[in-house]
Amino acid sequence: MDLTFNESESAFRDELRAWIKANHPGEEPAGEDEGYAFRRDWQRQLYEAGWAAVHWPTEFGGRDATLVEAAIFNEELARARAPFPANVLGLLLAGPTLMIWGTDEQKQRYLDPIMSGEEIWCQGFSEPEAGSDLASLKSKAVRDGDDWLVTGQKVWTSGAQYSKWCMFVARTDFDAPKHKGLTYFILDMEQEGVEVRPLRQITGDPEFNELFLENARIPDANVVGGEGNGWTVALTTLMNERAGLAFGLQVGMKVALDELTEELAASGKLDDPMIADELGALHIKCEILRLTAYRGLTATMKYGQPGPEGSLTKWMWSQGNQELMQFATKALGPQALAGGSSWGRAMLRSRGNSIEGGTTEVLKNIIAERVLGLPRKK
Amino acid sequence: MNFDFTEDQHEIKRTARELLAKRSGLEQIREAAEGDAYDESLFTELRELGWTGIAIDEQYGGAGLGVVELMILCEELGYALAASPFLANALGGLMIEHAGSDEQRAKWLPGIASGEATATVAFASGGSSEVVPDADGAAVIALIEGDEATLVARADADVEPVSTIDPTRRYARVSASGGEPLPGDVAGALARAEVALSAEMVGIAQRTQEMAIEYAKERKQFDTPIGAFQAVSHRCAQMLFDTEGARSATYFGGWAADADQSQLALAAAIAKAAASEAALSVTASSIQVHGGIGFTWEADVHWFFKRAQLDAAMLGGTGKQRARVTRLTADSLATAGGA
Repeated sequence: MDLTFNESESAFRDELRAWIKANHPGEEPAGEDEGYAFRRDWQRQLYEAGWAAVHWPTEFGGRDATLVEAAIFNEELARARAPFPANVLGLLLAGPTLMIWGTDEQKQRYLDPIMSGEEIWCQGFSEPEAGSDLASLKSKAVRDGDDWLVTGQKVWTSGAQYSKWCMFVARTDFDAPKHKGLTYFILDMEQEGVEVRPLRQITGDPEFNELFLENARIPDANVVGGEGNGWTVALTTLMNERAGLAFGLQVGMKVALDELTEELAASGKLDDPMIADELGALHIKCEILRLTAYRGLTATMKYGQPGPEGSLTKWMWSQGNQELMQFATKALGPQALAGGSSWGRAMLRSRGNSIEGGTTEVLKNIIAERVLGLPRKK
Repeated sequence: MNFDFTEDQHEIKRTARELLAKRSGLEQIREAAEGDAYDESLFTELRELGWTGIAIDEQYGGAGLGVVELMILCEELGYALAASPFLANALGGLMIEHAGSDEQRAKWLPGIASGEATATVAFASGGSSEVVPDADGAAVIALIEGDEATLVARADADVEPVSTIDPTRRYARVSASGGEPLPGDVAGALARAEVALSAEMVGIAQRTQEMAIEYAKERKQFDTPIGAFQAVSHRCAQMLFDTEGARSATYFGGWAADADQSQLALAAAIAKAAASEAALSVTASSIQVHGGIGFTWEADVHWFFKRAQLDAAMLGGTGKQRARVTRLTADSLATAGGA
């Protein structure tokens, strides 16, 4: 066991830390569009300095960073309170999926603009009738000469209004069993037949969108991983979704928790043993999340896949973050719920944590069946 | 960054698991609990294998390995729920090794390492402590009061066996006046003891989780294994969540004890809180998954539930640990902010 960073990991961290310090873009501006433009500029800055996709292989312009270094990257961004790059779905999901399933032409065409943020990507998976049961999705694609025409509806597509491309899964064979009839496409968002409508969430912000498709056109060259193979390709994307962000999310939680601790200490509320007790419990959960994420990372590096702990971090984070935000608003009092406070908004946003990227209930099913080997309900 | 045991440490874990499966199965636990007596030959075997001295310095007859190796043994002894004075002796040994004077070490550690003259430790108030593990058979008792600790020879203490809800371990009431203070790093020694104790609870949680899952796969109701019902399977997933979280915290505590003492105080408090909560919730949950049978004397899960209660209360319960985590964190933030 060695829970310190080795020489090259420390060097990587120090170099990155120095670079962030010298290039920190400052506070993100208010407003959805302004914030997005700001994060896009930030990604360009990262790209030009070679930091945009550290986990990508060097042949695609990355740094071939180890898993530990990729974790350090997310930790350091969060610690410096620097924003994540705008094209986060492209960097974490679309890029790695194309590296595995894409043709040489697709890799050549799409990877560099993902990294630079020149072309933004969104994810067209969930539908109104297909959430946790994703494989039951109904958007349909039919051949039209050398093209496909797609019709259907998607939901929870964050960043769709800024996107050039969409990772789009549609049904191409209605006679096949539900997992077999799907195909994974690269959909051009800038065309007639694609309509983006903002979806207002409980915070009042339109962070997500609905997507309406009416005979939108996709050339056959934009099929990823072959016709009928869409479920397998989509799983690659989903695996990346759950693995990539844990360290950044943990540090985000830790930063909020430390801020809360300081606020409570300054107001004398830490002397209340009930508050000190709950706050201690949250610090414990946050540290356990960090340690468990590192255990998963070691297992992945040594054995090629995480052990039983690997399936737990998303659940640990969402539960811990929700409890933190609820506790914060309770401990700080009603002023934390007033308009100017960031805590009230953060508390509302945290309700989505246990739903986005796989609900806690679905994660529990996966753990029960795949990790614990319990039988599946007939 | 490598959060995994070395090959040697994995080997210690495997060997311990195999040996205890043979020597301390559930029948032996039942026999010890119902007979109110340890199988002395088990402790003799552990002593002869050198387990008792694993973390004690070689100059005192130990193997000179670290808290990590001791933690591995404690986890496996918890997994087996072995009925023996091993844990109390190990905790007492950590107190003397890390907070004792040279004379105290030379006097007591060889007997602790060989297991011929064992130790124990407990929190005390005014020189007395109501529930001290394995004090009756011990040669020396460390009593911790606040930030200080005193060493009392068994011969100089009033020791009276008490029964508790946990019949798998022997406990006694201890009172003593006088004794010698432990002059060294009492807090650091106690933190190491908390990590070893946490490891026993991780083992308890792991074992009762496995018992529940095994039962949930076999037991059928409504013509279906009960583990196929989400109300049951999600409870099992929660057991994994609690156990693995406690494991992460405890292993980190072991590493901090051996490699980075600046992190030990916080790591030990986190480990003790997490392992106590996991042991309490997982053992209780395992009884629930076993249904009616789980509430019978005949099922074995209650032995684990009972040991968990005593372990969780030992050396400061969760409330104390959480308060300590808050204080340590707030202090370090204030220091960082002021610097």
